[in-house]
Amino acid sequence: MRRRLPEAVLGVLWILPALVLIAGLILYPVAYAIWLSLFDKHSFFPAERWVGLGNYARIAGDAEFWDSLWKGVVYAGASTVLQLVLGLAAALVLHQAFRGRTAIRALVLFPYMIPTIVAVIVWRWLLNETYGVVDDVLVRLRLVREPVVWLGVDHMMTSLIAVSVWQFTPFVVVSVLARLQTIPLELGEAARVDGASAWARFRHITLPQLRGVLFVVVLLRSIWMFTKFDTVWLWGEGAGAGREIRTLPIYAYMRTFTYYQAGFGAALAVIMFLMLMAATLVYFRLFWGEEDAA
Amino acid sequence: MIGRRTLAVALFALVLAVVVLAEAADKKVIRLWQTETEPQTLAVLNQIAAEYEKTHPDVSVKIEGLAWGDLEKKLTAALAAGAPPDAAHGQPITCVSFAAKGLLRPVDDLADSIPKDNLVDAFRNLCQWDGKTYGVGHSPASSVFVYRKDLLAQKSLKVPRTWDELVQVAETLKEVRDGQVVRWGLTMTGQPLFVNIAVGELLKTNGGRLFDAEGRPTLTEKPVLELLDFYKKLGRVLPPGWTGHSYLDTFANLANDKAAMLYQAYGRGVGYIEKYAAKDIADPDHFAVADKVVGPSGRTPAAQLDCEPWMVFKDARGGPEAVDFLKFFFRDEHYVPYLHSVPIHLLSIKKSTSRNPRYADNAMIRKWRPWVDMQEKYFRNDWIKPVLVTDWEDMKKPYLLEVMGSGILVDMVLDAVKGVPSAEAAARAQKRVEELLASSGYLKK
Repeated sequence: MRRRLPEAVLGVLWILPALVLIAGLILYPVAYAIWLSLFDKHSFFPAERWVGLGNYARIAGDAEFWDSLWKGVVYAGASTVLQLVLGLAAALVLHQAFRGRTAIRALVLFPYMIPTIVAVIVWRWLLNETYGVVDDVLVRLRLVREPVVWLGVDHMMTSLIAVSVWQFTPFVVVSVLARLQTIPLELGEAARVDGASAWARFRHITLPQLRGVLFVVVLLRSIWMFTKFDTVWLWGEGAGAGREIRTLPIYAYMRTFTYYQAGFGAALAVIMFLMLMAATLVYFRLFWGEEDAA
Repeated sequence: MIGRRTLAVALFALVLAVVVLAEAADKKVIRLWQTETEPQTLAVLNQIAAEYEKTHPDVSVKIEGLAWGDLEKKLTAALAAGAPPDAAHGQPITCVSFAAKGLLRPVDDLADSIPKDNLVDAFRNLCQWDGKTYGVGHSPASSVFVYRKDLLAQKSLKVPRTWDELVQVAETLKEVRDGQVVRWGLTMTGQPLFVNIAVGELLKTNGGRLFDAEGRPTLTEKPVLELLDFYKKLGRVLPPGWTGHSYLDTFANLANDKAAMLYQAYGRGVGYIEKYAAKDIADPDHFAVADKVVGPSGRTPAAQLDCEPWMVFKDARGGPEAVDFLKFFFRDEHYVPYLHSVPIHLLSIKKSTSRNPRYADNAMIRKWRPWVDMQEKYFRNDWIKPVLVTDWEDMKKPYLLEVMGSGILVDMVLDAVKGVPSAEAAARAQKRVEELLASSGYLKK
């Protein structure tokens, strides 16, 4: 009679492929980045010199780092809040019944579906102060006297935030809309019968029902915006004014691939990772604390 | 059930696929990255590759076009990944930097295939390290200063010769209608690569330098401070969004009558003029070239040498084949069509090609002769230097690539443009370059 493997061993065997994948694709790169951050390592030479926490000490005194961190916080904070407010509003509107709703729902998704490079090229063209449509319209409507230099040093960050909000708000819309559709209609109807105003129904019925989804959306969007590389890079690429949007991921890239300081770049990436971990933990604690209190 | 006929067709297709794949596997593939991305140039290069493959059936040549501004970043990423191409264009300072790091294969064999006295004098030592040649330029060009001759004549203005005159003339040429600026006096790009180029170029016209003989940055010296003051003045005459304008935006500004002068033009700009400017003015009598303006502490004009050397990577499996292909490329029957694909920009690195009647027999070269003459004047007078090089001795400094890539000089200019006092912007940049060079082991603290 063949002996059967103990259930526990069998269980481990079943999940082994997934564990190997996670270890190979997630844990190893993170561990390697941490290891690399402890060395003075050129980006394409094998030679490396142990510096311990030296890279971290240098980062603490690096004005460029603090500047990039601040720019990253401004970008992630402003764009996440705007996405949330606009996305929530749009989802509430699209939850109502009106003619053409399906077409508009499809249209709202459009910015999220087009490739980033296309979005950036089109918006850079639209916002060009010499031949762009946006400034032309603003001037013709006499909303501004002179064309606004959206891609210059003064408005580079504002225009980047605007484009990012345009591009990523559909994610919030879809997430919130999906949840809205699962809220029992009776709840709203009962409140209406009891004389609750639209604002009261939103405040006391809809919003509490959306807490879970908003929690996930805020978490994901703020992480993704803080680590956003492609849109920021492409928006600033090819412009001296790109310095105005040199966020932490861009700075880490520059240190690695233009200063050739892979160790320093890895240390920046590790710091970014730790900051996000800390922020996520605080966020979780706050949310679950409120949940428990409720 | 599958019919016999279907089965036979499937089997035949399978055998065919195996044969084709086996044949492809036998071929040695050489990959070349280069910076000429205009469709007609890529077509010529692919044609040359096809011709080469006919006589070398065991070799397959893959040529990829990369944008100028991206080249260094992509090469670095490829090197970091351990997968560089076999050969690539690079800035001369990139070539020196890579050669010093031991990443390149010497290409003396390629250089020797062109007799020394046949090379245009200024380009003989474009990429030398430890007495060996590591790069051979594909085609030289000089940046040029372009102005609208007709507009200057209308306002009885003389062609500016100094930095101050440039600002004055640009101010006078600014055209305002109904409170709106309809034509700016001057256009310049804010693209980081070109700001680096302009810093080196303007500093040279101002008798300045970026590094001393010991390799220490000299950004707090008077010529640099004057340069930053000049940028502040330029802010009055350039379109307010110039820091976000790309190199091609400035061509568009000039060709579409949005600007009267372009400080950093190149020969390929005539393509834009021919295509977008009004037909009756799309000629060198309206879009004229002049010497680059000179700074208050300088004496002679200076321009940037645009001549990427072909580099061959040391670990490239197809190194010898790449060199062989490049020898084939430099043969006039292939080289002339390549040069003609952007005729005013891709000039010849070989004297014999310039004398070749087939080369001279080109309508664009005949029409835009003043632009070619101006570039050749710069070559003859040795007024051209590669990006960030103010003296040929700088080509012995293997860290100019890092300085360019760090964007520190661009930040310095941007600081000044944003109102930071020139001395403060320069001191900040000086400190950052010193830190960069010290941390990379090039400079003792």
